[in-house]
Amino acid sequence: MNTSHSVDVLVVGGGATGAAAAYDLARRGMRPLLVEQLDLSTGTSGRYHGLLHSGGRYAVRDLETAAECIVENQVLRRIAPFAIEDTGGLFIATPDDPADFPERWLAGCRTAGIPTESITAAQARTQEPALTPRITAAYRVPDGSCDSFDLIHAFVEATRALGGDALIYHRVRDLIREGDAVVGAHLEDTRTGERRTVSAACVLNAAGPWAGVVAGLAGLDVGIKFDRGAMIAMNTRWVNTIVNRLRPADDGDILVPVGTVCVLGTTSVHTDHPDDYRIEAWEVSKILSEADVVVPGIRHGRALRAWAGVRPLYEPPEAGHDDAEGREVKRTFSVIDHAQRDGVRGLVTVVGGKLTTCRLMAEQAVDVVAAQLGNEARCTTAGDPLPGPHAPRYHQLGGRLHKLEHGELPGELICECEMVTRAQLEAAIDAYGDQPVALDDLRRDLRLGMGPCQAGFCSYRAAGILQQKKGHTGPDTVEAFGAFVDERFRGVRPLLWGHQLRQMYLDELIYRRTLGLDQLAEQPTEEPAHA
Amino acid sequence: MPENPRANIPPGAGTDVIVIGAGLAGLMAAAQATQAGARVRVIANGWGQQIVSPGWISVCDRADDDVIAEVRGYAAIHPDHPYALAEDDAMVRGIEAFRNVAQQNGQPYDMRDKDGHNLRLMTALGAIQRPMLAPRGMANGDLTGVGGPVLLVGFTGWRDFFPALAIDNLRAAGVEARAVCIDLPANPSGTWDLWPGDVARLFDGADFRAAVSGRIKPHAKGAVKVGLPAVLGLENPVEALADLSEQIGAPVFEIPTLPPSMAGVRLSNALRRWLMRHRARVQVGHPVVRGVVANGRCTHVEVGALGHTNPFYADQFILATGGLYNGGILSDETGRLWEPLFDLPVATPPGDGREGWYGERLLQERGHPIHRLAGLRANKQMQPLGQDGGPALENVYAVGHLLAGFNPLTDGCAEGIALATAYKAVQTALQLDE
Ligand SMILES: Cc1cc2nc3c(=O)[nH]c(=O)nc-3n(C[C@H](O)[C@H](O)[C@H](O)COP(=O)(O)OP(=O)(O)OC[C@H]3O[C@@H](n4cnc5c(N)ncnc54)[C@H](O)[C@@H]3O)c2cc1C
Ligand SMILES: Cc1cc2nc3c(=O)[nH]c(=O)nc-3n(C[C@H](O)[C@H](O)[C@H](O)COP(=O)(O)OP(=O)(O)OC[C@H]3O[C@@H](n4cnc5c(N)ncnc54)[C@H](O)[C@@H]3O)c2cc1C
Repeated sequence: MNTSHSVDVLVVGGGATGAAAAYDLARRGMRPLLVEQLDLSTGTSGRYHGLLHSGGRYAVRDLETAAECIVENQVLRRIAPFAIEDTGGLFIATPDDPADFPERWLAGCRTAGIPTESITAAQARTQEPALTPRITAAYRVPDGSCDSFDLIHAFVEATRALGGDALIYHRVRDLIREGDAVVGAHLEDTRTGERRTVSAACVLNAAGPWAGVVAGLAGLDVGIKFDRGAMIAMNTRWVNTIVNRLRPADDGDILVPVGTVCVLGTTSVHTDHPDDYRIEAWEVSKILSEADVVVPGIRHGRALRAWAGVRPLYEPPEAGHDDAEGREVKRTFSVIDHAQRDGVRGLVTVVGGKLTTCRLMAEQAVDVVAAQLGNEARCTTAGDPLPGPHAPRYHQLGGRLHKLEHGELPGELICECEMVTRAQLEAAIDAYGDQPVALDDLRRDLRLGMGPCQAGFCSYRAAGILQQKKGHTGPDTVEAFGAFVDERFRGVRPLLWGHQLRQMYLDELIYRRTLGLDQLAEQPTEEPAHA
Repeated sequence: MPENPRANIPPGAGTDVIVIGAGLAGLMAAAQATQAGARVRVIANGWGQQIVSPGWISVCDRADDDVIAEVRGYAAIHPDHPYALAEDDAMVRGIEAFRNVAQQNGQPYDMRDKDGHNLRLMTALGAIQRPMLAPRGMANGDLTGVGGPVLLVGFTGWRDFFPALAIDNLRAAGVEARAVCIDLPANPSGTWDLWPGDVARLFDGADFRAAVSGRIKPHAKGAVKVGLPAVLGLENPVEALADLSEQIGAPVFEIPTLPPSMAGVRLSNALRRWLMRHRARVQVGHPVVRGVVANGRCTHVEVGALGHTNPFYADQFILATGGLYNGGILSDETGRLWEPLFDLPVATPPGDGREGWYGERLLQERGHPIHRLAGLRANKQMQPLGQDGGPALENVYAVGHLLAGFNPLTDGCAEGIALATAYKAVQTALQLDE
């Protein structure tokens, strides 16, 4: 089947940048269609550290990013309070860190406009008792933690309310060029293979690390370097404040309490592929041992899950640092007007930046789109709050437990770790209508299978409920079950020692011996990329 | 203050054998040593893997014909395999001893036939597993030569068993089946968390069973067997099974579902009671923190209590602490593997750190190297080997899952090895060899 329709702007990429851009376009009266090849927030925006930067991290090396972060930090708190937990942040120096650094850092913060508050080591440890006693300097900054999933969904819902639309599980296969203009795209449904064509007055390429690939579809070259970073979620929060090392940015500097876990990270490893999600053993060791300096004992805690994301690093040729790599490349972003740069109209690429600065990136990219389309409306996304609750929507177990105990969450517990009930699961399945639903979709909707057991118990239950609701065949259900098991395993595989090794043993026992899933599930023919 | 007459007697004095661990291997070692007249004490942190396992006894799942012959053939060419160490009469007698003890305790385990063929039992997903023995409730579900129709019964709304999931997969295995969910006559919690144990306790009631049977019977017409989740009572499974079968009018069988496993709980409870009736001591919930060694022998173990440790003395020590799952072998992030009680040498997968431990996919064929390769090596007396290849300690024996050389998740022999090695260790420890 080949359906076609036309929109003002086709936005490629359902990460934070694309979602913010679709929202901005819709507010300025340009009808956007956002396309995302997987689910919303599954690219870099779903594989990040969870930190709403104050900018402190960049205050020495990258003042421009630092200044952008502090401004956008305040904007996001205002427009998306439901997605942000105001944990506050600490920068902590230990005797192992360069003694002259705090001075330089403070100066940078001052220039960038980042408020800092000097506190004593004792105050820091009163606030966060798990911190090391070996503190030589401590400062408070306005860091926060951010749920990118809630943020991106809010941008997309608001876009829809304004007449725009979003298509998930659709990949841009090709950009359509007519002479010196991009005029639309061929899309493919990544689950059914169905094709369709969309014509658009302009295409906004917000494909994150894949932005080079997407530009390539129009025959254009955007030189992007890739930098991989790993993160580890620990079983509990450990701290309630974001903790940063006060030293030149390095591996394993940051601890972010988010939802029920504490995310440790990250690393910086050059790679040649935008979807290289490997995690090497040394990265795990490094992250744990660095975190252990700040919070002694944390390395013996239970590590739940690890993941990696790929930063697209782009330096405009005019910056003249051709050979900068990893953390040397600035974290600010670039908007590429291909009309100016390459003489091809109808395509704008936005790349780099931070999740914290996604709204600003969108604003500047949409400015360029608007100029091409002759739209003169001004950006208003920093003003009005996004529709949504006006308080943080914490994903903490206490909240769910309270509801369970007071009858506000009916139905049996299906996922005990994350307290997901049958009623929630059924409602989430219903929300897909007659679209296909993967167990992994339900995981992202509900946190199903994200706790300590990593779906050992709930995957069977959820498969049973999914089959009941959808009337699937046995083989289809087994396939869905097997896919979920594979997906969950990928994130624990780097962490298999001690507690989590025992957990996976139990899960494997359930799948193989109790259920015989290994006999039934097809072994996949192709190896996962870069595995 | 009057002098305490027992003050100078070390705790555990008068014990011949201390068994550390309460898995299948530990409990059977304790039972056999007790039967042989030894004074036995079982000390374990918690129950072993039977509590989370399906409940059947895999000796050599892949054997098409005579299981024992297949094991003998395998052991002959794999001299380091635990079956080869235990030697085949230990396997045969270990299984026999297990059946006897279990039977005496109201937990009969049945085979398909006398010729040692494996059973064909269905899983909750409709896959076929082929253990050699199973608790009667599961063995009743043998599908050898059964084309159906089989009726599968679930309980409406119960999260741990979805009978419809099995239908298509069973059909692919040549068995016609249909599924039905009935409302349970009573749900005491009325809310969101009914555990297998909650349901099993309901099935201990004869009235409850009669009510359930009444609801199943109309669906059972023409069914050659009726399968329910393995929660049919805790106290008297044989009676529960007979009642249900009679009232429904077709043989009823049990299908393992998510842990905790009622088959494992029944067996553990029964063996504990039996051991205690026979004057063995059973301390479950007590961590052994260290074995104390002098002159190549273990003199005693130290058992953790609140803030201190108590010594327990014995002549012989059977180490049945399980493998990586139950704490018999510990692992850390750097790739170190160690045995925490005696610091015995642990066989380790080749390669750097943890690199070689796991493959890419959880359910990949043949499983993961760590589960096959990590463990203790032992000699034919079941004594763990020291660095020099000789027995590490004169009076310490290693059994069950703790041993290297098999993968309990994929090889289909975990329980057989537990039984064979437990039997052999008791024979050598108590010098019972005829
Ligand atoms: C390790 C790491 C840690 C980080 N930590 C932080 C942090 O703590 N705080 C912070 O503010 N920032 C952080 N960042 C940066 C932040 O994650 C990114 O800046 C942000 O997520 C980028 O969002 P995006 O929308 O531009 O890209 P993405 O989220 O990658 O979105 C691009 C989307 O495009 C889709 N796509 C690609 N090609 C196609 C196609 N052909 N058709 C359709 N769709 C396509 C992809 O599937 C993807 O979903 C971190 C980054 C990394 C790598
Ligand atoms: C009915 C039944 C069904 C079974 N089904 C299966 C199955 O399907 N799959 C399977 O793999 N296994 C199954 N098992 C268990 C399987 O047989 C094990 O491989 C076997 O029990 C080996 O057991 P083990 O005793 O060596 O270790 P485990 O069963 O793992 O038990 C180890 C014991 O040692 C204790 N322990 C560990 N460290 C210490 C310490 N420092 N101090 C004190 N105590 C300690 C633990 O708490 C535990 O009690 C089953 C067992 C039974 C009885």
